[in-house]
Amino acid sequence: MKKSFRDFVQALDDGGELLRVNKPVDMRRASALMSQSDKAVMFENIADYPDWRVAGALITSRARLAIALDCGAGEIAARFEERAARPIDPVIVDDGPCQEVVLQGDDVDLSALPFPIMHLFDGGPYLSGTFVVSKDPEYGRNSGSYRMMYRTPRETGIDLVSPSDMRFYYQRALDQGKPLEIAVAVGVHPYEMLAASYKAPIRTDELSIAGGLHGAPVPLVKCKTVDLEVPADAEFVLEGELLPIGWTADEGPFGEFSQISGDVKWNPVFRVKCITRRRDPIFYQLQMPWENDWLAAPVTEAAGLQALRIASVEPVDIRAPVGSCGYWSLIASIKKRPGEGKNALLALLSVAEVKLAIVTDDDIDIHDPDDLDWAMTFRVQADQDLIVVSGARAKHIDPSVKSWELGKGGLPTTAKLGIDATIPEGVPKQLYRRIRTYAADDVRLEDFL
Amino acid sequence: MSPLAKRIVAELEQSPRQFHDVVEDHMDVPWPDFLKAWGEIRAACILGRDDDGAYMIAPADTAV
Ligand SMILES: Cc1cc2nc3c(=O)[nH]c(=O)nc-3n(C[C@H](O)[C@H](O)[C@H](O)COP(=O)(O)O)c2cc1C
Repeated sequence: MKKSFRDFVQALDDGGELLRVNKPVDMRRASALMSQSDKAVMFENIADYPDWRVAGALITSRARLAIALDCGAGEIAARFEERAARPIDPVIVDDGPCQEVVLQGDDVDLSALPFPIMHLFDGGPYLSGTFVVSKDPEYGRNSGSYRMMYRTPRETGIDLVSPSDMRFYYQRALDQGKPLEIAVAVGVHPYEMLAASYKAPIRTDELSIAGGLHGAPVPLVKCKTVDLEVPADAEFVLEGELLPIGWTADEGPFGEFSQISGDVKWNPVFRVKCITRRRDPIFYQLQMPWENDWLAAPVTEAAGLQALRIASVEPVDIRAPVGSCGYWSLIASIKKRPGEGKNALLALLSVAEVKLAIVTDDDIDIHDPDDLDWAMTFRVQADQDLIVVSGARAKHIDPSVKSWELGKGGLPTTAKLGIDATIPEGVPKQLYRRIRTYAADDVRLEDFL
Repeated sequence: MSPLAKRIVAELEQSPRQFHDVVEDHMDVPWPDFLKAWGEIRAACILGRDDDGAYMIAPADTAV
């Protein structure tokens, strides 16, 4: 059965991964409090917002990502890859909890939503965990996640600078002098968030990918004021339109997924016509950058697995570290045949933004930094085991590509590095026999306490 | 404009301020009231941004 945001929060609670805070919390301090918790957080009592609770920092560890995907921590990439490949179309239902309360006209008031202020240099309070639906007459329904900066009780900013399907839809509407209708669902299951951040081909409905991840169709309700559909079990929904003003309004800075403060950007404005919500809504405060980066990891990891298989290399484990934001590096262990350390590197470095790839044999635990260091120390000869590729596509957001040196509209390039930390060809395996404690399995320390 | 919005405008007329500084100076007002006042200022189209992203009161031709 399709699971909801609430089901996920409950699963975190059942797994001992949720901290419930009962004292009243001011939304100007919510982010600071959340960032001090090593568990996911639910604020049960929000100062000045009696109807609302706030949940956040839900996915800030591999263990909690595994709870989201309902699998073991070592199975995340494979689970994502397998299920995303079997999309299930959504179904339209007559009603859903996200429309228990409908606010239109003078009742539309974004100041009545507990927007948090999250980072020191942010240009305003932000909605960070969105599932934004739009439609194009030719290309169909699209979903993505886009941040929204509070501007007025009826308007937010949106970051629509980077190339994306929704940016393309907006440009097409703008070319005709028309607004683009959008619906912003907040408080959806992580499967919907993963599908939204997945770079699906333009005619693919990400809601079908979400259905595949759930193994069940996503029930949708029709919006009240725009010709769009949203997940029926969302916590709340903002309906409205991106005004046909182009990239003219200031937006940001906002703590970026690259873990950098960011700049003021020039962007369109979202005018809200209608707010629908549950009677007892939970506001999802996605803690940037960590939750964004953890959500990116399975997608990058699945792409890495695919690239390895296409290169006929057998992957054993793969990891997109959150230190490189779930995008910029991949570490994989493989069952290696001669030469495949290098083949694997070439495959991994072809994945989207990946600029650092490390490949090990399958006796290395790639989740253990000490094990990885050991492999990189004793299995790597720098003059033989590094691959450097110059001039590959890059993202502006990486300061080391010096995109400010490019002219307006110029696209940066980057160098990519691969490290083959597999046992070099010609070195006998027994030279790597690891130290093992004598009689390790025969006694248990706790029996002696 | 509400008295709170007027107070914030007067502060921004003195010097550019980061959003968090504006927030910190008004911790005594409930957050929804602050958000409403900020919305009034935004709607008046009198804000500008400096290179650091700080807000200021801008001349009409550069306001955002
Ligand atoms: C939490 C989160 C926030 C995001 N915020 C933005 C954003 O503000 N602007 C943007 O261009 N992409 C953002 N992204 C990435 C897009 O959602 C992603 O590129 C997606 O594939 C875009 O979908 P689309 O191309 O189908 O429109 C975000 C991703 C996540 C997970």
